[in-house]
Amino acid sequence: MKKDDLKEYTGKDGKPAYIAYKGKVYDVSKSKLWANGIHMANHKAGQDLTANIVMAPHGEDVLKRVTLVGELEDKEPDLQIPPDIQLQVNIKEKYRQLYKKFHPHPVLIHNPMGLFVFSALMQAIYILSKDVSFERAAFYSTIFATLTTFPAILSGLFSWWVNYETTFTKIFKAKIIFSAILCVTSIIVCLLRTLIPNIYIEEGLLNIIYNSLIFLNVGFISYVAYNGGKITWPS
Amino acid sequence: MVKANKARISELEEMIQIVLLAIPREISAREFYLSAVAKATSDASRTMFLNLAEQEKGHEIWLRKILNDLKTELGGLKSKN
Repeated sequence: MKKDDLKEYTGKDGKPAYIAYKGKVYDVSKSKLWANGIHMANHKAGQDLTANIVMAPHGEDVLKRVTLVGELEDKEPDLQIPPDIQLQVNIKEKYRQLYKKFHPHPVLIHNPMGLFVFSALMQAIYILSKDVSFERAAFYSTIFATLTTFPAILSGLFSWWVNYETTFTKIFKAKIIFSAILCVTSIIVCLLRTLIPNIYIEEGLLNIIYNSLIFLNVGFISYVAYNGGKITWPS
Repeated sequence: MVKANKARISELEEMIQIVLLAIPREISAREFYLSAVAKATSDASRTMFLNLAEQEKGHEIWLRKILNDLKTELGGLKSKN
C-alpha cells in the first residue's frame, strides 16, 4: 500500500480506519479510541503517524491491540539523530555522566557567592564601626572569593559544553559577560588593597573605587546566579 | 527586509534557548524512568516505565533535530546580515 492509498481509509463514510506506523499499516476501525477515524480529537486515520507516536503519552505497544493489515511502500524514514549530532552526543555522554555524578558547578558556585557577600558585609560593618578587624576580614574574604571564582567559572563552562553545546543564548551571554567582569573587578580589589595597604583609610578616589567594587561584586555575582536560576527553573 | 531578518533572528534565538534548556530535562526524565524500571516490582509497571523512558528518548531526538534546524536557519540569516 502507498501513502496515497492509505488516505482513502479515513474511517468515515463506512470506510475502514487505517493508520501507518514504522512502515506497517494497522486497522483501528474496531478501536473505541478511533471512533469516526479520529483519535483524541487530534489524529486522523488515513495517515502515517510514525512521528506522532513518539510524542504520544503512550508507547507503540498499543498497536498490539489492533490488526496489522499490510505494509507501507513509501514509509517515512526512521526517526534518528543525524550522524554528526550522534557523534557529538556519544563523545559527551561520558563527561555528562561525570557531571551528573558530581554536579561541580552548583557545588562550586556557592563558594564565591557566599564569600563576596560576606566580604561586603564585613566592609559595611568596618565602615560603620571603624574596627579594622572587620576590614581585614573583608579583604581576606575577597581574596578567597576571587580564588574560588575561577573553579566556579571553569565548571560552568564545562556544564555549558556538556549540557548546552556551548550555544550562545541571552542567559549564557549574561553569565559569561558578568563572570568576566567579576573576575576583573575582584582582581582589582585584591591588587588595590595589596599595593596600597592603607587604601581603606586614605580618603580619595581610590578609596571610593575600592569600596564601590567590594559592594558591586555582590551585584555582579548575584546577576550571574540569577541567570543560573533561569537555567534551572526556566519560565 | 533587514528588520524582518532581525525579528526572525530574535525569534530563533528565543526558540533555541527553550529547546536547549529542554534537552537535559528529557535526558534526566529518561534516566529517572530507567531507574524506576530497575525498582519496578511487576512486569506491567516495568513495561510502563520502559515505554515512558523510550518516549523521553524520542523527545530528546526530536529536540536535537529541531535545535539543529534552528541553528542552521540562524546561521544562514546571520551570514546574510
